[in-house]
Order: sequence, then C-alpha cells, then structure tokens
Amino acid sequence: MNPESPIGPPRGFRDILPTEARELGVIEQTLADVFAASGFMPLHPPLLEYGAADSIKRRRIQFLDSDGSLVALRPDLTTSVARLVAGRYRDMTGVLRLSYIAPVFREEPAMSGGAREILQAGVELVGADGALADAEILALLVESLERCGLPMRESTVQVGNIRLLTSLFAALPDDMRTEVLRALRNGDIAGGLSRAREAGMPADQLRRTGRALTGAEGEAPEAAAAGELCHAIDLARERWPGTLTGWGVPNLSLVPALPYYTGIVFEAMHPGAGVIASGGRYDLLIGAFGLPRPAIGFAIDVLQLHRALFAEAWRPPSQRPLLLLRANADERATMRCAASLRAAGLAVALGDLVERAGRAVIHAEVIDERRVKLDDGRVADAIALGREIAS
Amino acid sequence: MRPLRFALAQGLLLNEALATLRAIGLDVSGVTPGGRRLVVDGGEIEFVLARPSDIATYVERGAADLAIVGKDVLLETEARVIELVELGFGACRFVVAAPRGAVERSLDEYRHLGTLEVATKYPNVAERHFRARGVAVEIVKVAGSAEVGPLVGLADWIVDLVATGSTLRANGLAVVEEIASSTARLVANPASYHLRRREIAPVVERLAVRAAAR
Repeated sequence: MNPESPIGPPRGFRDILPTEARELGVIEQTLADVFAASGFMPLHPPLLEYGAADSIKRRRIQFLDSDGSLVALRPDLTTSVARLVAGRYRDMTGVLRLSYIAPVFREEPAMSGGAREILQAGVELVGADGALADAEILALLVESLERCGLPMRESTVQVGNIRLLTSLFAALPDDMRTEVLRALRNGDIAGGLSRAREAGMPADQLRRTGRALTGAEGEAPEAAAAGELCHAIDLARERWPGTLTGWGVPNLSLVPALPYYTGIVFEAMHPGAGVIASGGRYDLLIGAFGLPRPAIGFAIDVLQLHRALFAEAWRPPSQRPLLLLRANADERATMRCAASLRAAGLAVALGDLVERAGRAVIHAEVIDERRVKLDDGRVADAIALGREIAS
Repeated sequence: MRPLRFALAQGLLLNEALATLRAIGLDVSGVTPGGRRLVVDGGEIEFVLARPSDIATYVERGAADLAIVGKDVLLETEARVIELVELGFGACRFVVAAPRGAVERSLDEYRHLGTLEVATKYPNVAERHFRARGVAVEIVKVAGSAEVGPLVGLADWIVDLVATGSTLRANGLAVVEEIASSTARLVANPASYHLRRREIAPVVERLAVRAAAR
C-alpha cells in the first residue's frame, strides 16, 4: 500500500460490504415498516448543519465551507429535526410524526477504535405532550427492537426521568444543581453526589439520593418518582405487551449523555453491544430554535442493534437463489434465455460471481432461448425451472 | 452470562485496592501482585489485571464491567464510564511544576517568546488546563520521568502527577499550581451498570460505607 494515497477510508469510517449491507438492509426495512405502521413519515435532514464554536459540542466533525462559514456533519438527527420543524412548520400547531434512517457523525479520539459514522433509525413525535405520548414512543421502541428479532430481557429497556432526577436536587441553588446534573450526564455519580454534599444537601437526603442512583433496582426510595416511572412503563406495555411479560425497568440513574432531555428518558441495552437505542422527551429543544413545542423521540443505533442481533444468533431470512447463467456461442439466444428465465420469476445474472454475500446460487448453461442445462446434467425448461425453484 | 468482570490496575493502587475488596468480603486470594496470571477466577467475580491506562479502555468498551482506577486516569483518557464511589485512597494531584526559582525567568521568556514548553506524560490534562488558562504552550509528550525535562532543557515546565512531591523536590522543581486532585474510584461500564445493577449494587453499597468510614 502506498502511504501517500491510502486505500482505506479515513479513521473512524469503514466500508460496509454486501454480507453486512444485506443484513442491515433487512433491519432498516423492518424499522421503516414499524415506524410507518404507527403513522411516522420519513424525512431527510441535510448532511451538513451550521457548526458552533462552543466547547461542549467538541464531538462534532466540523470544517470551513468554501464561503468561510463553519459547518458540521450532523452529530445528531433530533437537533436537525428540531431546527427543521422550527423553520418549516412555523405556522403549524398540531402534531408531527417524523422518522428517519440516516447516518450521524461524531468525533472520536484517534486509536480509540470508535466509529465516527453512526447509522441511526429514529422517530420524533412533535407537538404531543403527556403520559400517552410518552408511553406510545417507549412502546414503539420496544416494538421496533422485537420486530427486528431482538429477544427482550427484563433489563433490556430501562426508563428514567430527568425532571424527577432534577427534583431530587431541588433544594440546591440553581448553579449547583446544574453542576450536579452535568456530572451525572458525564457518568460521574460519585462526583455529583459529593458536589451536592458540598452544596449543603442534608445527610439523610444525600443518603436517599445516593441509594436512588446506585442502589439495586426497585429500591428507588422516592415513592412518587418510582410510581411515575412505573406508570409510564405500565401504559407502554398496554400498547406493546411484547413477548416478555413485564419488560422495562424503572431506573432513576439513567442519564443519557445528550443534554436536551427534560422528562422521561429511556435506553435499550444489550450485554454484548452496550447501548443500542436511547430517547426521551425534549420539550425545550425546538423552542431553542424559536418555536416552543413539546416533543419526544428515540434513535436506534442500527449497527449496534445489528451487533446485538448477531450475538443472539440472528440471521436474515434467506433470499431466493440466484441463477448464474453461462452463455453459449449464440449471444442472441443467451440474452433471450435470460429474459425467459426472468419472466419465469427467477433471479438471473450472466456469468460467474465472486461476492455472493451468503446467497445461494444455481449454475446453468444456455441451450437455447428457453432451455438450460443444469450442473447435474439435467436439461430444464425456463417455466418449469421457475416453478420448481419457487416451490 | 459471564461472571462479573472486575479490572484492577497493576501498580501503586493494587495493594490498597485488594485490601479494600478483601475488607468488603470479596475473595481476591487468587490475585497476586506481580504474578503472571492476569485473569483470575474469584467465584462470582472474575478479576483482570491490566495497566492503569488500559483499565479505562477495558471498562469503556465493556471488556470489564467494574474497575478500581485513579481519577487521574479518567481525566487523561476521558473514558466514558460511570463513576460510582470515591474510595478515598491513592490520593495524588496533577500539578504544574517549574525549576525552583525559575518561575520569574520562564514568565519573562513567555513574554518574549510567546510560548512555554511543557513536558508531560499527560498531554490531554495539560492541554485542557493551559487552554482554559489562556496560556500558549507547546506540549512535549514523554513516556516517563517528565521531571527530568527542565533539567536537560527539554521543556520549561512540566505537568505531572505527584503524591508527596518528593520526586519534584529531588529534581529541583517546585509546584507552580495545582490542576486537579485525584483519588481511586470504583467505575462501571454504563451498559453493564444498568444491566447488572443487582450484582453491582451490593459492591457499590459496601464500598461506599467503607469509603465514608475512612
């Protein structure tokens, strides 16, 4: 390989070859169908958004456009949808159901093995508020995963609530509370709690809060908070009972890294693949673009979902076999033979094929316009062969 | 499901980490500091020994579920893990240090030359610190013994991790300012923490009680 012109893609990006692409295609199609069956309409936000100089969003891949403006490969589709809704649906007050299957891009340090291109499939329900909307989106996430073939365990889907979590620190001054929540978003529970102690949180309250964040499941001491989380899960189970009775675990310590959530939050995780989906209510994000609207949504990391499915021994349904047709000397007869095989419902390709991506192939040689000779020496008519392979 | 995997940093923290785990009733008898076996079966928990800076990677990527690791490693690697308990041992500080009596001279140099050279094993911590301070520096990454840097003319200042400060003193260096303090922490992989909460919570609870009693 010439190091001056590398043959591989840039760090954090990779080629997806046919075996994997076909499996991803099956997952994407399933998700698109599930989203559509709940009334969600696909849309395509642009690949580029305007960048920003703030350091909190350092994980963006940014560069200068030819006119000098700072642009970023979209790091997140929810923010793009929020911007789009605030701009294009300014005069609309009702409900929007939007869905997407598209890549997002995030900066990762070199040598960390982290992908910089992440394929997301998600929905956003804009303009709907309240427990029903929360439960519908939570249920749709579980339905999406199960329809793709992911077996649910009790702990696969975890449900928290940023508003309830914030209320645990209600007695702290605003700036301290913000700092505690920032620590929790960064995964620093120990640091968040010690900051709360420094800010004067009483010892018994600190102990109860600590237990809510690090205790075993079901030990959430704030009865009202636990009740609200369980209610959301119960309601969602009515909409999608699923294959596992009692899916979903209330978990107040669930704090997604993205800063815009304001209410219910949820994540789906798998022991082999980590977090495969996350979502929640973000009632202030669209308002930040000038159009206050309640909203809730989720995004599935399609590659991580694929990883989890693979770990569960999932394989896509097999495709109809491909007939590889060897030409004979008569070119016109060869083309006509291919046409009659296709007309008989067969998938046909001329010549041989190296990359088969797991697809079964049948070799045959052209005899005349409607007959081929199979590898076992048998001569078959196009229509009969089509019927044979279909059955 | 495999047993809960607990990564331990080889080095300064190991003995104290083992004592702490023993004190909360975990069987760490199979783990021998300096031994050759790096993966040790401890019944319900499997222990893995690794270099401190690799521990964060193991936990971030889910190869280990839990670990005891210094906050210093987390600050340098910026690993995305859940920090559960401040254990209170292994205290050390990230500091900026300069040759004793040379601070004024290097500040004068900074005025004239516009930049300071800083040798460190911790380029991320150093870079973040000086950027936040608005000081222009050139970070010189070294793999060990940054404190030699000013002596041999490699750098004006160093950013290093100090426990007692005796190494600095021995090399004629003095602390210019403190960047951050660090103690050992119990950390968890985010997905493991939520998925295996029932197994992890008792460990967290007992370690928190012990840390609070220190």
